[in-house]
Amino acid sequence: MAATAVTTVATVVTGIEAAGPGIKYFTLEDPDGWELPPARPGAHIDVNLPGGLVRTYSLCNGPQIETRYEIAVKHEATGRGGSTVLCNKVAVGDKLGVSLPRGGIPLPAETRHILIAGGIGVTPFLSVASALLHRGESDFMLHLAARGEMPLARLLAPLQARELVKVYDTTGGRPDLSAMIGRPVPGIQLSCSGPPAMLDAFEAATRHWPPDQLHIERFVAPPLVLDPDARPYTLVLARSAKTLEVPAGQSMLSAIAECGVQVPTSCGGGICGACRVRLLEGNPLHHDRFLSPAEREHNLLACVAGCAGGRLVLDL
Amino acid sequence: MAQAEIHKSTLGWRGIVRHLHLAPRAFLPMREVGELKLIAGIGIEGDRYKLGHEAGFYSHLPEEGRQVTLCEIETLWALKRDYGIDLSPAEHRRNVTVEGVPLNHLVGRQFWLGETLIEGTRLSTPCRHIEELTGKAIFDPLVHRGGLNCKILEGGLVHTGDLVRSF
Repeated sequence: MAATAVTTVATVVTGIEAAGPGIKYFTLEDPDGWELPPARPGAHIDVNLPGGLVRTYSLCNGPQIETRYEIAVKHEATGRGGSTVLCNKVAVGDKLGVSLPRGGIPLPAETRHILIAGGIGVTPFLSVASALLHRGESDFMLHLAARGEMPLARLLAPLQARELVKVYDTTGGRPDLSAMIGRPVPGIQLSCSGPPAMLDAFEAATRHWPPDQLHIERFVAPPLVLDPDARPYTLVLARSAKTLEVPAGQSMLSAIAECGVQVPTSCGGGICGACRVRLLEGNPLHHDRFLSPAEREHNLLACVAGCAGGRLVLDL
Repeated sequence: MAQAEIHKSTLGWRGIVRHLHLAPRAFLPMREVGELKLIAGIGIEGDRYKLGHEAGFYSHLPEEGRQVTLCEIETLWALKRDYGIDLSPAEHRRNVTVEGVPLNHLVGRQFWLGETLIEGTRLSTPCRHIEELTGKAIFDPLVHRGGLNCKILEGGLVHTGDLVRSF
């Protein structure tokens, strides 16, 4: 009998290559080369790192490649430690548990895709471009802003050869987003992936666009803002038959963890979806940037959700 | 009727093996194969729930009925007809997809699956895990028709196209 439940997809590192300034490109495969769980274009996985850290990375390869997960990791010496472990401690042959792929960028047919990326934020768009080309579609343009040397040059070269990517060196200043975006026209989808300042600028520049033509890919969770109006509430975990009193300001996830009930978590900021929980009763405050309005009827992300009433009942 | 007589009941049904699938580890897509090797009391060669391998999502909750699992192809047709959901034989994550076999009637019964003899232990219940893997809302539509968990009494090879018949 297995001592504990299997909670991750078992992979082995089969390739590590340098891929630009401070960037390493990792290839993960099943130990026997079996097909891996399928992903949508632009999806991301949580990688369980040695030492217990869990970090989320976009898949760079197109989903038509069924036996590999390829991720690009930029070493951030002043980051939260995940990239240091991956870039300095992980070697070919090491085993890494990963989550099922989540998220992804919808790619409706007969649509022109304008993909705007900053630096290493280009990773999900490599997957998107690969998927579109695999479908025989090349009606897209990838705008990549990067300081100095271009990231992931080997992967971008085929797109450059087909004039499907424009690169902007930001050493001399930021490029003009509004020129890339243009005027709102039906049949165009705008997607942006990059550092927070770029995403903010993108949001400002697309305020007049219909929301269903926009997609924003966030890598760093926006800082949690403490709600000055937060109130204590009662949290009922139906399957565990536990009732908790959550004080004002405490996260739902930490309250659940304190009583010994396990909920997977990764980003802690309401963007990755790892801590999605089914809602049975009550009126939550969602605060996430992941669930659709329809999904919010019966789900919440426990890392950021609050309670608008006095009581919530969860399927835990 | 005595239990032994129930086991040997030969009420009129006869079915056929339509698809065979296995996966070596949890979460991995099921792969279609032309034959499965069933090992009595152990499980399927190469599958995640084979005793001694324990690589399945539920391997920490051992149960002899996970040795081989079956699903009716009629259930997949009904999902399409009644809910408009396309669920392929690779997606339900049972090992054997059969046609013409009343699985819900076979809890506690022994029956032949090709040359192997198996016994239904309980109805398979749908799980949220399948919804997570497929991204399809199939939990509710599969309640009471999620298939059959079985233990293997006499092992052997099972092929696509083999007959399924009562003992």
